[in-house]
Amino acid sequence: MKELQELARTLLSSGTVGVVIGWEEGPRGARPAFITDAADSSRLIFDHRCTHNLATYLSPRRPHMARLGKAAIVVKGCDARAVAGLLRETQVKREDVVIIGVRCGGVAADPAGAKPLTAETVAERCPGCTAREPHLADHVVGEAQPEPPGAPTRDARIAELDAMSAPKRWAFWQAEFARCIRCNACREVCPMCFCERCVGDKTEPQWLESSPHPRGNFAWHVTRALHQAGRCVDCGECQRACPADIPLGLLNRKIAGIVADRFDYRATDDPTVPAPIGAFSMSDRQEFIL
Amino acid sequence: MALPAEKIEAFEPRITAFVCNWCTYTGADLAGTSRLQMDPNVRIIRLPCTGRIDPLFVIKAFERGADGVIVSGCHPADCHYTSGNYHARRRFAVFNEILGFLGVEPERLTFSWVSASEGQKWREVVNDATARARRLGPFDAFRALAGRSA
Amino acid sequence: MARIGVFVCHCGENIGRTVDCARVAEELGKLPGVAHAIDYKYMCSDPGQALIKQAIAEKKLTGVVVAACSPHMHEKTFRRACGSAGLNPFLCEMANVREHCSWIHEDRDAATDKAVDLARFIVEKVKRNVPLETIRIPVTKRALVIGGGIAGIQAALDLADGGAEVILVEKEPSIGGHMSQLSETFPTLDCSQCILTPRMVEVYQHPNIKLMAYSEVAEVGGYIGNFDVKIRQKARYVDAANCNGCGACQKACIVRKVPSEFDEKLGKRTAIYVPFPQAVPNIPVIDRASCAYFKAKAKGVKKDACGKCKEACSKGAIDYEQADTFVTEKVGAIVVATGYTLYSIGKDQPEGLRGYGEYGYGTIPDVIDGLQFERLASASGPTAGKILRPSDGKEPKRIVFLQCVGSRDPAKGIEYCSKICCMYVAKHTMLYRHKVHDGQATVFYMDIRANGKGYDEFVRRAIEEDGARYVRGRVSRMYRDGETIKVQGFDTLSGEPVVIDADMVVLATAIRPQPGIEQLAQKLSASYDAHGFFNEAHPKLRPVETNTAGVYLAGACQAPRDIPDSVAMASAAAAKILGLFSKAELEREPTVAKVDAALCAGCFHCERVCPYGAITRIEVRDRKGNLVKIVAEVNPGVCQGCGTCQATCPSKSVELQGFTDEQIWSEINALLA
Repeated sequence: MKELQELARTLLSSGTVGVVIGWEEGPRGARPAFITDAADSSRLIFDHRCTHNLATYLSPRRPHMARLGKAAIVVKGCDARAVAGLLRETQVKREDVVIIGVRCGGVAADPAGAKPLTAETVAERCPGCTAREPHLADHVVGEAQPEPPGAPTRDARIAELDAMSAPKRWAFWQAEFARCIRCNACREVCPMCFCERCVGDKTEPQWLESSPHPRGNFAWHVTRALHQAGRCVDCGECQRACPADIPLGLLNRKIAGIVADRFDYRATDDPTVPAPIGAFSMSDRQEFIL
Repeated sequence: MALPAEKIEAFEPRITAFVCNWCTYTGADLAGTSRLQMDPNVRIIRLPCTGRIDPLFVIKAFERGADGVIVSGCHPADCHYTSGNYHARRRFAVFNEILGFLGVEPERLTFSWVSASEGQKWREVVNDATARARRLGPFDAFRALAGRSA
Repeated sequence: MARIGVFVCHCGENIGRTVDCARVAEELGKLPGVAHAIDYKYMCSDPGQALIKQAIAEKKLTGVVVAACSPHMHEKTFRRACGSAGLNPFLCEMANVREHCSWIHEDRDAATDKAVDLARFIVEKVKRNVPLETIRIPVTKRALVIGGGIAGIQAALDLADGGAEVILVEKEPSIGGHMSQLSETFPTLDCSQCILTPRMVEVYQHPNIKLMAYSEVAEVGGYIGNFDVKIRQKARYVDAANCNGCGACQKACIVRKVPSEFDEKLGKRTAIYVPFPQAVPNIPVIDRASCAYFKAKAKGVKKDACGKCKEACSKGAIDYEQADTFVTEKVGAIVVATGYTLYSIGKDQPEGLRGYGEYGYGTIPDVIDGLQFERLASASGPTAGKILRPSDGKEPKRIVFLQCVGSRDPAKGIEYCSKICCMYVAKHTMLYRHKVHDGQATVFYMDIRANGKGYDEFVRRAIEEDGARYVRGRVSRMYRDGETIKVQGFDTLSGEPVVIDADMVVLATAIRPQPGIEQLAQKLSASYDAHGFFNEAHPKLRPVETNTAGVYLAGACQAPRDIPDSVAMASAAAAKILGLFSKAELEREPTVAKVDAALCAGCFHCERVCPYGAITRIEVRDRKGNLVKIVAEVNPGVCQGCGTCQATCPSKSVELQGFTDEQIWSEINALLA
């Protein structure tokens, strides 16, 4: 923690950056922090409650952030993949951001409270994580961390759904999507949803009905999933932000499986690896095409 | 889910086809010129290239009551625009799997490559898609999303 | 409010027989926004078109829908009619109720219902059509010809004679291509060099042609009328401006045993060389890999490196320090005439192909290919025109020709017919008999494809006058037995196996595109087939155009071609280009993509998918000049209108004119009546 705070202090006092985006202690556990004064660097923390992916604050569509000057951002390994995504899609220039990587031993599903990290409290995506060491970083701080507790659960859940009949799967997802209130929290929190105007808000024509209605909900969630193909970094923020507890992580995980299987692509914090959608191979599988 | 035989007889599925201008559309023209008789259930919407065909079109077609959708264009290496079909292939590979994962019966969606000289193949695609949608019956599940049943 | 006119065509009986056209017009007339709906026997006829023009004027139509045949048939006709009546042509669209309806259905009710639907979709689309202006782009009246074989030479000469400036790029030190290697040509047996070299000289002397030999196309940017081509001129190590072509350098060269490419490795050349005496330009090049000077340099020898050619040159033209240079040329059109290469039966093959293990993978001596035979038969060749086998220089008395080696053999990866082999094998048997009077030529063939003018007569002459023995069947095995090559095959006409003893075997190996053609095609954004041949825009109606506007094809880069075909294609391509150059400005369909800069987030997925490189990045600045963001912009001259960018754009901030989201959405929305 000291190392992180010292680094932030140096970066701010030397004028290298105008703001350090990290986490701090809040009234309900860890929360994002925007340190602009070197003297406040001691507020910075990093522990298993620092679930949030702060890369979303790098989006150029957040002008209030831009006003704070050049940013340093604290990233976990999974978050670094989002920064790589923003670099890949020319939203951020590498020289315009200082990346401080932190070594991660898994985070809690809920950043509030002081519960220890256990198989019960750990975020769904963490067990079995292979991205705990950030590579895309100017500085990496902290000691190596132990493996996150618990075992991966999502793949088993996906296999279970895949084994169902189509109508059963339909019923399952309809029940989930029925709770959607179209608050767009999943989109707002997502570091990769940086469009000027989301297609979900397009009105001429309106492809996706924006009121919470089964038809629009379905269209929205299909489209969101499709737009995340090969772009989602599996930070789990959409699911955490969802007030209706829709298992978006399950859908994201499914898509990650599809692009891994078909295009041999896995989310990475190497920005030079091209995204799979927008590219093609002559030998892409086409078993679904007559 | 399949319908009983007598209902299959009575049900005329509505099928929307999104096709590229250069291969499938021309192939369908050839089917016409060759007077190849086929099921009258398919309505073609012409796009320049499969690269232009957006998954949003497919969703919208289902929303507007399609019982089946066909997406069709040039064979690999045949694209008028050299690579639109390759991009479409990736896009629809993912879209198809997502729809399946969300519970849409795969038989509702037909993807095919039909070249300008494959009028015969176009007929097969049309008849197959129609027969499959007929077997599945009206896409009530989707229509029910709008609170309306066929 | 839209005022759409709907015109339903009977097409005589073609539509009217199965579609109740009157009912279609009646139903369409009820739609909101439809101001006028009629049916008529022949909409494309003059009176039919007059009905449309009249309605535009009288009913003040804002859009026209013609429910008739395929838009591929008559879209232009009806758009022109609308244009002449003062309605923007792009406010007119067709509903295809013939090919897609009346011709493929028998049930009158079902067909009529479908016709109503199809027309209804288009009505809804046209309501969202907007007037589009034809795009006009300036034309640079210079052409680039890639490849200096007979096709490239012909194209360059025709273009230059037509008044266009031409840049002819040839990767070899001399133009001439494969034709310069041939001894005689079918079906007239005229000497290949005798008819070719005057044209080569003409190219060299033509005031409108800039010849760039020993050069390659490095990059291609821009679009029809406005290409920017970067050309790499490879270092010859000879200063072309000073060289007088005296040949002293070659006489002085100490490296004398480099296998000659021109003689298909049957002859030798020096390290500094011109490929053949009639080479154009007659300027030598130093083959760096063989040159004693460069080899010594590479080993780090500082002094006493060879330098004999430099000493011998009285003009001081040898320049060991010369480097590749790049020039950028602006051209308006490009002809690809890169020609062919021959398949070889060896073990090492490009992906998808296989060699001939049954013929010993090319390891049996005195088994040569067709081009090698041409060099043996050529008076300028390594044997001065005597047919002598390479291994021991003896005259082969028994010679066997195999057709379709590689070609028409899916097991080897090539399904197509190489087209020229039947003819040149017949020619070879004649040349052989004319030179070896007591020799016997045997030909194994699958079919004889002699379908040009005078071609079949030529093959008959080979058989009837020059005694070639034709055996119908393939050769299953070939092996060496002392000095004899055993050729084991099957005569499918007699139904018996045959074994023929041969002194020499000539393989008519398949025609394949030049290596590197895929990379060239990618530079040009042109498409190519599974074998690497360039795709023509239409197999029948646009045989010398590609799907990339401004890029044309001539010769064997498109498919196996003989000389007359190649020349015809070259002249056709030149005619197309001269037509293009005859206008001050080019007109392009305005169905191109357009970015909404306010909505574009600059993720550049569009840039990645655009097959034409039509997307550029532009800066958006606020009033004070601060950079707000970098967004995509479409160059309408380059865009070909595929719309892949739009389907890829996550926020739909790019719209393909003529196929906008609004238009397609409206069509889909009309699914439910």
